[in-house]
Amino acid sequence: MADGDDQPTVLVVEDERALIELYVRWLEDDYRVLTADGGEEALEQLDEGIDVVLLDRLMPGMSGDEVLEEIRRRIPDCKVAMVTAVEPDFDVITMGFDDYLTKPVEREELLETIQRLLSRSQFDDIEQELYALSSKQAALRSSKPKEELEENEEFRELQHRIDELRGELDTTLPGMDDDDFVAMVRDIEGGEDSDDLPGDFE
Amino acid sequence: MSYRVDSFGDVTSFDDGVSLLMSGTSTETNQRLLDAVTPKADERSVVITTNTGAATVLKELERRGADREQIGIIDCTNADSEIEDVPVRTLSSPGDLTGISLEFAKLFDRDMDDESVRARVGFASVSTALMYTELRTMFRFLHVFTARIRSGGMFGTFALDPTMHEEKAHNTIRAVFDCEADVDEDGISVSGTGFE
Repeated sequence: MADGDDQPTVLVVEDERALIELYVRWLEDDYRVLTADGGEEALEQLDEGIDVVLLDRLMPGMSGDEVLEEIRRRIPDCKVAMVTAVEPDFDVITMGFDDYLTKPVEREELLETIQRLLSRSQFDDIEQELYALSSKQAALRSSKPKEELEENEEFRELQHRIDELRGELDTTLPGMDDDDFVAMVRDIEGGEDSDDLPGDFE
Repeated sequence: MSYRVDSFGDVTSFDDGVSLLMSGTSTETNQRLLDAVTPKADERSVVITTNTGAATVLKELERRGADREQIGIIDCTNADSEIEDVPVRTLSSPGDLTGISLEFAKLFDRDMDDESVRARVGFASVSTALMYTELRTMFRFLHVFTARIRSGGMFGTFALDPTMHEEKAHNTIRAVFDCEADVDEDGISVSGTGFE
């Protein structure tokens, strides 16, 4: 999330002016919204503060796939939802997108998707802290006898914080489905397979 | 609702959404894991195997009373398997985590729209997969996988052989799970939360 700003930032990339206006109207109450009417302009707007990009797959000029590649390179943590005319299957996720929306996009669907992507980012953040603490705890466990650890204030605090984070992790994505699952695992493997993006998807 | 288990020490059932780490040598955990994932009536079972071929997994589950239509197998042993009537997905490496998640999703895609589907998930083993991935990567993968198991109200069992890893790695992996079963020739003891 953007520092010093309560509202997450969404970048809408869409070549149809009317659709941009519609999406902005739906989003502007909850998010800071940036817009771009093509790939080149989208790349000019890119900065670290962007949390979610809504990206039209088919645009004149630079394609959505090219824009995606550049976003991945410059802001790896950013979540990208593809907007497409055709209902895709799970393959879209192995292509590097985090989610997809099929046109015509409805208001509820759009808000729900963005919320889900933000929850995934939050899950990543919590998980990262949990790993750091779990490694620390594991190191302590391997170096000191159990009885001594139970007396150890640092260890107890660590355990407490780990339990807290686990609770948060469990509630961050209560409605996690298979799309979330596949996309998140793909993210873990870190876009290593970005070379084999199929080009003729639509 | 919960997932009933037989001959599992003092434990008779695991709560919906729980993931269990099963620690022990692979000879011990392979059998116990299959006990834990054998589907009861109206349940499904998906086994991700990195160390035992799909044909053996199928045979063992059937021996324990499972019907073929209850079973799905993701075989990462890189062996050809020609099994009829059971969806078997093959992957060339246990390190292909995206492949595993994708095949898992596809296996459930057929009937998981029905939210009431109950499923047991087995992963044998984390130790083999760890030979192909970094600990950090595996830790993240397990977190995401167990979160999926939780949201779907499934029951997950993940086998790990502590003798194959440094103690620190085992201790780190532990932090992902609700509960842990220690398995050896003397029996099984379960600690943590999410079972009765």
